[in-house]
Amino acid sequence: MDDLHRLEAKGLARAKIRSKRRRVSAIRRRTIRGSLALFAIAWAIIFGQLVTGNDPALSRTHSTRKLVASTHRNKQAANASVRPAPESEEENAVVPVESEPAPEAESAPEPEPVVTSAS
Amino acid sequence: MIAVGAASVGPHIFWITSRAAGMAALVLSSASVGAGLLISGQGGSGKGLRGDARAFHEALSLATLVAIALHGASLLGDHFLHPTLLDISVPFTGGYRPFWTGIGIAAGWALASLGLSYYARSRIGPTRWRTLHRLTAVFWILAIVHSLGSGTDAGQPWFLIALALSAVPALILLLGRLSRGYGERPGTPARVTEPRSPVRAGR
Repeated sequence: MDDLHRLEAKGLARAKIRSKRRRVSAIRRRTIRGSLALFAIAWAIIFGQLVTGNDPALSRTHSTRKLVASTHRNKQAANASVRPAPESEEENAVVPVESEPAPEAESAPEPEPVVTSAS
Repeated sequence: MIAVGAASVGPHIFWITSRAAGMAALVLSSASVGAGLLISGQGGSGKGLRGDARAFHEALSLATLVAIALHGASLLGDHFLHPTLLDISVPFTGGYRPFWTGIGIAAGWALASLGLSYYARSRIGPTRWRTLHRLTAVFWILAIVHSLGSGTDAGQPWFLIALALSAVPALILLLGRLSRGYGERPGTPARVTEPRSPVRAGR
């Protein structure tokens, strides 16, 4: 009788453990699926922003690029930023704008001696 | 149109992945903190539910760590920022927004070490581990600060809505927990003072 009870108790315990494992693995599966879905949704939103031209960083730096081109009318400056700064600060975006004219000012007189020497 | 858009987006693929992973990490960590606070606030009641909640909390924490790793690692492939391994792994050394990024890196490492310490809690000691584990909330808040400080999408309505929906409930739970006192766990005194009986033990 005692053995029967012990076997029943063991069987019950095993069933409980099995059901707990099943529940835990179901929770893990659901969490993984949910996490992947969350990542995919965030990815799609950001992708959509970029495709439609509404990305916060790109639209901000596009205007910076225009400013660079209009103020300095420098092809090098316009081509310098191949990809607009993704998350770059305004400081970072401004640095090339301010720093690039300086070398030009230095390099501008350089052709003159070449021209004069040729002539 | 999508194909044309996709082609133009091509060079930004790592950047998009990093942003999406950061967003996912933020929501998942908020949910994980919320679940953790619910478990700790539950005391001894609902043993089965508590076990489920613990499994959920663990799965969320591991998913958060994966998302954090992806958030940092995908930046390595970005051709514009072009960060080094040092830039993405050592706080306050990168060239891009060193302060805000540094906070994020520090929070990421802290969350990873505090989260993974769960598997070494028998070595650390359960009481000491629990005390350390409470610091997770501090680094979670730092992660939110990082996202608002250096996140590209920080001003976007969808980002703010997602952040509010995920972080505010956890923040409310955290404030509730702090106001109650971290040391007190509901149900604990009752369990300690009540005499043990087979009926109660089986509950």
